[in-house]
Amino acid sequence: MLPLTIFVLQGESSFSEEEEEKLQIAFSLEKQDLHLVLETISFILEQAVYHNLKPASLQQQLQSIHLDQDKTEAFASAWAAAGQDTIEKFRQRVLTPQKLETIGWQLNLQMAESLQAKLKSPQAVLELGMSNEDSKNLKKVFVEFNHQELFEFYNKLEAIQAQLDSLT
Amino acid sequence: MAATVSSAALGKAAGAAYGHGESGGGRGGGFLGPRVPAEVEAMARGVQDVGKDTFRRLLKVTVNALEGKDCKESVKLIAESTNLSEEQLAFLISGMYTLLREALRLPLSTLKQEVFKEDLKELRIPEDFIVDFSSVVFGNRRPASEGTALVQRSRLPSVQDFKWRVDVAISTSSLARALQPSILMMMKLSDGTAHRFEVPVAKFQELRYNVALILKEMNDLEKRSVLKIQD
Repeated sequence: MLPLTIFVLQGESSFSEEEEEKLQIAFSLEKQDLHLVLETISFILEQAVYHNLKPASLQQQLQSIHLDQDKTEAFASAWAAAGQDTIEKFRQRVLTPQKLETIGWQLNLQMAESLQAKLKSPQAVLELGMSNEDSKNLKKVFVEFNHQELFEFYNKLEAIQAQLDSLT
Repeated sequence: MAATVSSAALGKAAGAAYGHGESGGGRGGGFLGPRVPAEVEAMARGVQDVGKDTFRRLLKVTVNALEGKDCKESVKLIAESTNLSEEQLAFLISGMYTLLREALRLPLSTLKQEVFKEDLKELRIPEDFIVDFSSVVFGNRRPASEGTALVQRSRLPSVQDFKWRVDVAISTSSLARALQPSILMMMKLSDGTAHRFEVPVAKFQELRYNVALILKEMNDLEKRSVLKIQD
């Protein structure tokens, strides 16, 4: 029971066909019974996430619906071990189609160009990697800043930081 | 950029000019480099027969072209009101364009007005016209393009508009009480693209840290002696 609960906690979604076969053998369950067990565990854990339950109160509630002692303990200990991480994972879930994933940059000193000799102008290039819901590839956006532009951008980030600070 | 004047005419002029440009190549020197560009030589020869009024109109068109404006219409007007052929016009404008572009490339501290005038004299450009050229490069007619349209041309897009929003998710389909802050950013770039994306708080800290780091590196770079060497 305990290992199965942990599997469900770790698995992002459902198991593959192959994994289910292995689980069937490991727990000597019929396919249909395995599905029932998995769905029940999932449901209980989803409720635990949704209500942000403490392990003790999860155990108590499971006892009150007359689940066996060893099973309620298995749930409680699995939840104590991985519950907070699981809740955090759901909390970080992003609904917008694009999310900032990677940040890279390069600082250049421009010395001259076709229309201007003897320049000494620092230029920063920011590379923002954005994940897209529809594809696995990161979309890279390149933005160039001179000193003034970068300073203005930084000030805006500071304004955002001030808002975040005021939340806590 | 030549395309803004009249691409077909200029193309013809450039081809023709390079053909017999070698003859005068040996002279050169001055701000135009070791070899005077062929189109400048061709212009210097042709401009002798041009009236002052026409010259000024041509100069104005050239300055406009340098500023990145579309000059097809004004070139057409000049062509209609003077007896210059399309080919002559192309020689004159492309030569003036190159001459001014090369002069404007150099910072004022490097190119001295006397040297510039001396160089033009050597090309046998009439005295009156030298004064006009000089007023573009050194006077208040110096194109406003410096630091704007021209410099923008060869760079990656910059931020044109940046909007942001700090959200706190109260509850979601999987959490009754989420209370999770997040940031939504909207970045409009100078190439016309717009990007809307979410930035988790941890990722935002990383972005802010990196931008601060680049700023510091930039400050350090500007303080370094390599930037203080005088030209």
